Amino acid sequence: MEMFFYGFMQRAFQASFLISLIAPILGLFLVLRRQSLMADTLSHVSLAGVALGLLIGINPTWTNILVVIIIAILLEFLRQIYRTYSEISIAILMSVGMAVALVLMEIGAGRTTLSVTQFLFGSIVTINKEQIWMLLGLTIIIGLLYLIYQKPMYVLTFDEETAFTVGLPIKMMSILFNVLTGVTIAVIMPIVGALLVSAIIILPAAISLRLSKSFYGVILNGMVIALVGMLSGLVASYELGTPPGASITIILMLIFAVITLAKYMLHYLKFDRLFNKSQG
Amino acid sequence: MNYIKVKNLAFHYEDEPVLENISFEVDPGDFVMLTGENGAAKTTLLRNILGLLKPSKGSVQLSSKNRMGEKLVVGYVSQQVASFNAGFPSTVLELVQSGRFQRGKWFKRLDKEDKEHVRRSLESVGMWEMRHKKIGELSGGQKQRISIARVFSTDPDLFILDEPTIGMDVHSRNEFYKLLKHNSTEHDKGILMVTHDHEEIRHYANKHIELIRKEDSPWRCFSMDSCKELSKLHF
Repeated sequence: MEMFFYGFMQRAFQASFLISLIAPILGLFLVLRRQSLMADTLSHVSLAGVALGLLIGINPTWTNILVVIIIAILLEFLRQIYRTYSEISIAILMSVGMAVALVLMEIGAGRTTLSVTQFLFGSIVTINKEQIWMLLGLTIIIGLLYLIYQKPMYVLTFDEETAFTVGLPIKMMSILFNVLTGVTIAVIMPIVGALLVSAIIILPAAISLRLSKSFYGVILNGMVIALVGMLSGLVASYELGTPPGASITIILMLIFAVITLAKYMLHYLKFDRLFNKSQG
Repeated sequence: MNYIKVKNLAFHYEDEPVLENISFEVDPGDFVMLTGENGAAKTTLLRNILGLLKPSKGSVQLSSKNRMGEKLVVGYVSQQVASFNAGFPSTVLELVQSGRFQRGKWFKRLDKEDKEHVRRSLESVGMWEMRHKKIGELSGGQKQRISIARVFSTDPDLFILDEPTIGMDVHSRNEFYKLLKHNSTEHDKGILMVTHDHEEIRHYANKHIELIRKEDSPWRCFSMDSCKELSKLHF
């Protein structure tokens, strides 16, 4: 219980709650637009943003946001160029982002007390009030944008050609969505770590897809799943001294396994009952 | 007034001509069937009209206003619509309701009238009872029906339909054609439909455009001889 009295844990719980609200919204659109790996690309690229910030002595979150916004826009242009093989854009930017990050880290080695490892694996101890405010602002922006644009986004996600023919600005919407995803990754990366930030965004929506019939059901259930996974992951991280991102990811995977197993068992029982009925 | 005006359209994939000398118009109240052998670039022509592809030569004008002077609403059913993402998390009702968004409801709640449109559209294709089913659980024919219901729920001024009856039985097809005919004659809707059932549709359509392979071209290039009026022949 003593963990709830520590300021850093309180901030970690506040951050987790806010992340649980936005992750399933972004995650669902990423999964349905077949861009799950985009989150991974942006998280790799964001390491370059962090390394740049550390090198020039600016708060790495700000340089990170800037770099990720540029890459998010570039990703949409590359997706248009390689329409048939859209994963090429992901492969190109992921490797370039990682390469730039490694070079900048090497150049800046020894210039700062902050370590890049901290950004790789995440740390709940380092969450400060500024990050919580940033996350709250981002949650409000994403929540509002979702409430305003949920119908255009539904049509865009269902079929881009239909969206075009009804006159939606599909390019602008795609870029805005990529930018929001990028900024979210940049803001939550110091907490959960660059290597697993995409899992935190994608997994709740992916699990919820197996449970819900309707579009809005997926988002609501996703929020509950994210909240359970994030909070229990944090507790586990505190108790066991494990990295928060990894703990949360493992718990989300356990939820996925339990739900999948339960669904198979229910399906089997239903089938069995039907079979026995027809025999009787 | 023309809802669609195509003038001397040509379309090339890189240097290879695919369509040449295409000219026709679709007016309010027209039911135009577009036919041609497999690979005759019928879908390519529709995509040029919708702005998804740019013509290499000539012009396509899609009216911005309907005959009442309001913004023209286009309802499009694409050829691949029945193969849409089976995992997409949506109920039949949600998908068909999304057809109403185009009717000025992008940022507003759907009202009673919208819901009535959706109900009637689903009933017209016999899918009202399945409205709470997940779309991924439907058969190919059922997916086709809800795509059609989605377009009917939009209540567009201009229907652009790319082989919309694939997977439907003869009875359902004829009901669908009757409904389209009713929309064109009674409500002055314009209809441009790609189809292979031209023998069935001749009784409903009033114009026929056939894409024919150009004999003098070394490429697999298609053109049209004329836009035939059918109503005088069959009604």
